[in-house]
Amino acid sequence: MRRMITSKPLGLLVWSLIISQCVAAQDMSAQVKGNMSVSLTNSSNTAAWHQYGWGIARFSDNNQRLNVSRLALSSRVDISSAWSAHVVAQYVPDPNDKIGLTEAYAQYQPLAQGYQFSARVGGFYPRMSLENPALGWSSPYTYHFSGLNAWLGEEVRTFGAEFELKRAARRFRSKHDLSAIGAVFKGNDPAGTLIAWRGFVPHDRQSVFNERIGIAPLKSLSTPQLSRQGQYVEPFTEVDGRFGYYLGAHWSYLKQHALRFYWYDNNGDPSAINYVTKQYAWDTKFWSLAWRTKFNAQSQLIAQAMVGNTAMGPTRGVDNDFYSWFVMLSHTFDDYRLSVRAEQSKVIDKDHWQFDENASFTKGVTVNVQKSLSEQWQLGAELQLIDYEADARLAVGRAKGQDEQVWRLNAQYQF
Amino acid sequence: MNKILLLLGLLSTASNALEITITDEQGKPVAGTAVWLSGKSWQANQSQQQTIYSMGQKDRAFTPHTLIVPSNSQVEFPNFDSILHHVYSFSQAKAFELKLYRDKPLAPVQFSQAGVVELGCNIHDWMLGYILVVNSGVYGISDAQGKVSLTIDSAQLGNTQLNVWHERFENLNMPESQPLTITGVSQQVQYQIKQPLLDKLEFITDETDDYE
Repeated sequence: MRRMITSKPLGLLVWSLIISQCVAAQDMSAQVKGNMSVSLTNSSNTAAWHQYGWGIARFSDNNQRLNVSRLALSSRVDISSAWSAHVVAQYVPDPNDKIGLTEAYAQYQPLAQGYQFSARVGGFYPRMSLENPALGWSSPYTYHFSGLNAWLGEEVRTFGAEFELKRAARRFRSKHDLSAIGAVFKGNDPAGTLIAWRGFVPHDRQSVFNERIGIAPLKSLSTPQLSRQGQYVEPFTEVDGRFGYYLGAHWSYLKQHALRFYWYDNNGDPSAINYVTKQYAWDTKFWSLAWRTKFNAQSQLIAQAMVGNTAMGPTRGVDNDFYSWFVMLSHTFDDYRLSVRAEQSKVIDKDHWQFDENASFTKGVTVNVQKSLSEQWQLGAELQLIDYEADARLAVGRAKGQDEQVWRLNAQYQF
Repeated sequence: MNKILLLLGLLSTASNALEITITDEQGKPVAGTAVWLSGKSWQANQSQQQTIYSMGQKDRAFTPHTLIVPSNSQVEFPNFDSILHHVYSFSQAKAFELKLYRDKPLAPVQFSQAGVVELGCNIHDWMLGYILVVNSGVYGISDAQGKVSLTIDSAQLGNTQLNVWHERFENLNMPESQPLTITGVSQQVQYQIKQPLLDKLEFITDETDDYE
């Protein structure tokens, strides 16, 4: 416990809370919001990737069947009219009581009469997703995110600066919102590791700053070619010293239809390696298109597709194309929300390193029903069927396919 | 008690009101039209000016959408949402900004100059509201049937100017107006808006739009 309290991320959280108190005292404003999810879930027979196992479900430990699956605190400190500071901290129990920051950034958004310029500087999520708009990048629709956004949550984060120029519909008495987004960042070089050595898996475990995430004991990691790679990924580290970037465009029509289109390129140098942390820079680039349509005030469709490539090694010894998509329908009635999502993801092994198989294929269906009891409390149940297969499993004598049925009962307290 | 008040209200409307029906160029009733009478006999009294009016924010929308107040009165901005709103106006009649939390109400804002105050939120940029500050004590907003009832007394008969404003006017700073002779305390008036109205902007938002 003592170690946790003295850990750097928690220290930052405490610092931010202290600052927020001081700021409030000086008549500036601050707000801390949070949510806590208490879950009862079935547990997999196979230890999860983050426990260095072959499993694809978060929880395999029977002692963790009843858990706090996530506690998130989001604080906003308004420093001036235009500047605000944002910190999001979270606790997850897996694999071993992890506390850390998922976002910490300063935002500049001055009042504007016409075009709105805004910027964010720090560590934060790109806004590619329309599935994760709730507090701390959680989803108001399902407990487990789609495999696509689960991967964004664990391996993609911007550590740098993002700029946006927006033509807000209302300010121009128009029905169309338009904006252009550009960002430069560092520290996201190993992004792609989990795509190659695990594949896309729908779950809701977000990585915190400076996190190391385990992967299965792949046979290929014991070969001379991959001996410098650790059996883990540290997704937010800088390896090659180069800047990455992404460009995006948002459009929406009366907030009824929305599109978000992004090109992400971490500009990784695949020959770069950090011998100490045993992490390569991966050259990872992808397109992402997210779509949301509200049919009426109750029903909506959310979909997203991603297609890209990731490679590592001086000769691009690991070189994979990938795609991932999902389609979700969500409907609210009275205090209930019902959401159904179908998804599919594929990793295509393009390289000639036969000893390192990266091909994987994931299909999944998720059904979630939630009931709001009050502004604070919400109960819900979710069932997820995952059909997963990966060639790398054959090399260690496992069946290529692994199916999981994951159910979760959840009580969420929001404050 | 509320029912009695409502009944009294209806009675007084029926017996002592100038009832104006607002229609568009096609003759369809127009809701949300601000209407006021100008002239010496129709000025706000002290009690109207001392009232504190309210422009709330609820479910990421200004409520009411359009508020009409006499000049030199005060308006408070209660936030009924659990999220922060950053309310602002660049309008000539009153430029201001407020960062509003539910549990930290701020002091009311004084609106001295007559004119249209367009409200926005810097966090939820689809939010739109209007405060019409008028040099009048006889004013109202039309209902879904396009009707607005203005209570007047016998001292307020005579020649006045009827002013009409709608958020779908091309030029928000140009209310329409026409002379009106009030001959009795209960009188029916039809008013047809003289210009084509811009399209309605109705944003469909819910709690999942909060964090955009």
